[in-house]
Amino acid sequence: MNTAMIIGVASGLIVGLIIAGILLIVANTDKKLKTEYDERQKAVKHKGYMYAFYTVLVYQVLMVFVHLGKVEMPVEDFALDFTGVIIGCIVLCVYCIWKGVYWGLNNDPKRYYVIFAVVIVLNCFPIIGPAIHGTLTENGKIGLPMLNIMVLIMMLSVLITLVVRNIVDRNSTEEEE
Amino acid sequence: MKNLKLKSARAALDLSQEELAKKCGVSRQTMSAIEKGDYNPTINLCISICKVLGKTLDDLFWEEE
Repeated sequence: MNTAMIIGVASGLIVGLIIAGILLIVANTDKKLKTEYDERQKAVKHKGYMYAFYTVLVYQVLMVFVHLGKVEMPVEDFALDFTGVIIGCIVLCVYCIWKGVYWGLNNDPKRYYVIFAVVIVLNCFPIIGPAIHGTLTENGKIGLPMLNIMVLIMMLSVLITLVVRNIVDRNSTEEEE
Repeated sequence: MKNLKLKSARAALDLSQEELAKKCGVSRQTMSAIEKGDYNPTINLCISICKVLGKTLDDLFWEEE
């Protein structure tokens, strides 16, 4: 990546973080940036962070072997690093959702679904364009669009887990009540 | 082990898990987990549940031998 691209990516990340912060405030019922969790949810999240940490650890060790073995990957190095981060996020999200921590106490689920939809659509554009023009890969390697692909995979994983968990949860609640 | 005392005390007040959870400041899933015996609440949450249901800790959380 050249300097201009690095500056572009860094600016994009900063803008993305600001937008994410605004969206969180909008999506929370009490208009606070911080999502509130109860004691069980916090305990589950702590465990989720632990599993995510070990996942990223294993992934990074695997990447060391990939680099040492000079294995040619069809993905740029920076995208491989980002992939590790996203895999960690997926582990955290899927674990927490499956353990019943899908919404914080002050979250508005409907607003979050809208945000999910917007994020999915926004991440489709940088993939569809280059895919149509055949410029998804450069020198046989996929670069920046890989970040969008990983975010899409993460959002879809979260959504699928949410839907499945909701169905399981609804059935068990009907039996319990 | 399922907490049937909690479930019956809640039912006696005609409260749903969701309503009781909201009054105690926790999620419905947490309340469900407590009733199912999947989660051991802290003493603070036990007290909070007792206050909402008008019961004592012994009434709801003491397991008879």
